[in-house]
Amino acid sequence: MTLRNTILGIFMAALLGCAGCTAHAADAKCGANTGKAANGEPIVIGGIVSVTGPDNFSSSGLAATAYFKCLNANGGVNGRPIKYQLEDDGWNPEQSSQVAAKLIRDQKAVALVGNMSFVDCGANQGIYEKEGIMVIAGVGVPRDCFFQKNYAPTNAGPRVSNTKAVMDVAQTYPGKIKRVVCIAPNIPNLGEWSCSGAVAWIKKQGGDGKIITFDPGSLDATSVVLEAMAFKPDVISVGTPKGLAVPIFAAAEEQGLADKVHFTGPASLYNPDFPRAIGKYWDGKVTVDMELKAADAGTPDMQNWLAVMDKYGQASDPRDTFSQAGYLAARVTAETLLKMDAAKIDRKSVTQGLAEHQAVRKRHVVFALVRRRRSSSQRQSRGPGVVRQGRQARGKAGVRRVGRS
Amino acid sequence: MPDFTPFLVSGLATAATYVLSGVGIVVLYRAAGVVNFAQGAVGALAAFVSWSIVECGGPPGWSWIAGVAAAALVSFLYGRVIAPRLAYGDPIMRAVATLSFALILLGFMGYVWGEAPRRLRLPTDTMSFELLGVRITMTRAIAFGLGVLATTAVMLFLAYSRVGLQMRALASNRDLSAMLGVRVLRVDSWAWVISGLLAGVSGVLLADLQRLSGQALTFAVIPAIAAAVFGRFVSLPATVAGGLAIGVCEALLTPIPVIGPFRTAVPFLFAVGAMLWMQRRVTFVYR
Repeated sequence: MTLRNTILGIFMAALLGCAGCTAHAADAKCGANTGKAANGEPIVIGGIVSVTGPDNFSSSGLAATAYFKCLNANGGVNGRPIKYQLEDDGWNPEQSSQVAAKLIRDQKAVALVGNMSFVDCGANQGIYEKEGIMVIAGVGVPRDCFFQKNYAPTNAGPRVSNTKAVMDVAQTYPGKIKRVVCIAPNIPNLGEWSCSGAVAWIKKQGGDGKIITFDPGSLDATSVVLEAMAFKPDVISVGTPKGLAVPIFAAAEEQGLADKVHFTGPASLYNPDFPRAIGKYWDGKVTVDMELKAADAGTPDMQNWLAVMDKYGQASDPRDTFSQAGYLAARVTAETLLKMDAAKIDRKSVTQGLAEHQAVRKRHVVFALVRRRRSSSQRQSRGPGVVRQGRQARGKAGVRRVGRS
Repeated sequence: MPDFTPFLVSGLATAATYVLSGVGIVVLYRAAGVVNFAQGAVGALAAFVSWSIVECGGPPGWSWIAGVAAAALVSFLYGRVIAPRLAYGDPIMRAVATLSFALILLGFMGYVWGEAPRRLRLPTDTMSFELLGVRITMTRAIAFGLGVLATTAVMLFLAYSRVGLQMRALASNRDLSAMLGVRVLRVDSWAWVISGLLAGVSGVLLADLQRLSGQALTFAVIPAIAAAVFGRFVSLPATVAGGLAIGVCEALLTPIPVIGPFRTAVPFLFAVGAMLWMQRRVTFVYR
């Protein structure tokens, strides 16, 4: 290789490198953005996620961790750093109660932020209300998360997400969607409930629906798919975490179903690793709901989220809807704390401050509306839209929006 | 009345993987007197090694062989290094030691590979034929064939080979066999290698047919143990029957309302039922 070619090669590599990083080029901005590390007395904030168990359900907590690291490197809360303690509940209600007690009673956390768990809401409702602590969860999953006094998730939940996903398929293929099957894990207050909106909606449209729940510990996905097909559905919504959805899609591929039935799913499947995991067979054949903006939307908030994750998170941390939710939860909390007198921050003042935050109040208003209008699934629908999942594998530019915006 | 035929067909392949693991557990128990709770975790390791090799661009065929070999190696190392030191301990202690080994392997796999969504694929996944309204991939057919083949091979090995004879001698009386010149450590090692091989094949097949997840595959040992209980940890034909019955019953319960979502309890019911059945004579004697 000549010197000229070498220089040209280095130049091209640098150019391509810059082109590749333009989407993430923005500097991470957090809190007061002073660029100076906070070194005052730490403010303890906790978080509960499910790392070990049937699936790793922690990306919201990881994003909150990254945001608080960024905040601490940029002045913290008026000079006081956040000591963020993330605990794993292992999908186990008893363990969830133990870690909640540890964070709230032993560590004296002023708030819990970025929670993401299948069991946290049900197991810890009592302690949250008794101790007067506010939880700004990244992701609420079971029904309990959306009907609690001190619990404000940033997402709309699997019920709304499943319903939106099915509605989108019905709108894309008008008049052709009459029968819906929704698959969910048989977790109390989650499985049936998460599918009930989609099934209620299709019945209201004159169609029919069926809910299939299965044990997350079960290995036999083919039987679940065969049971779904016995209903002769037009749409199958796979309302599970991504790890549990992979074998269901594998079993459906084995039966050659992609061309016979429309497959869709809630926001839990909006994950960059997911299209690769289910394989090329599904390219362009699965629509998945997303609750926040598309990861490659390029808006200032999305760019900052990616910049924070790149600089303060791990390369292995997912960049998915739930990561966005964790970032949002941490940011809402930081905004609230920054408005307070740093010397007077305690649990009572933080709970009050968070309850008065516009975003949190709006969440409570939304949930109050959801409670009143539960029968009308369409009214619950919110969020920016639905993406066709298969394209994600090939790069962010390939994400195609086919739903509402 | 739901049509059970498709569920019967789909359940047979899963049942075959239970059979493979169950046979491995029984062979090891007969030779070394250890109930191996790490059978599932060793299988999971085989699946992850295979997946990693394919991910790095390695040839799939060699990746499965390497995965199964890794499982046999890990099992052999445990059998050679740790198991002999516990050989004269309480049977429960030896069983619990394998449970610890399973948890160590599970932790290792969690650390190295995590729980990201992934899938292990075999080329036989794309070849299929239709049977009773269900599309059967060659992988499923191979799983079933291997289940039958491996059981037959192990039975012949135990019945006719010299090492098989020594294994049976050890199972009958360990001390006496040692005094008669049976090289206990060597025969034990063979049992661990066979158990590791069966665990590896079962793990790779389960990861392809069901889910590549350390947790799920590690706890796939439960139906295999239930199958072994069915065979009293002695009888290979009864273990095969138990494994097939558990896998098929699990699948057949799927379309039944109310019970379907809880069908994973089938292995426990089978194990409890088998134990009660085995104890019936004792009850009769004491009456």
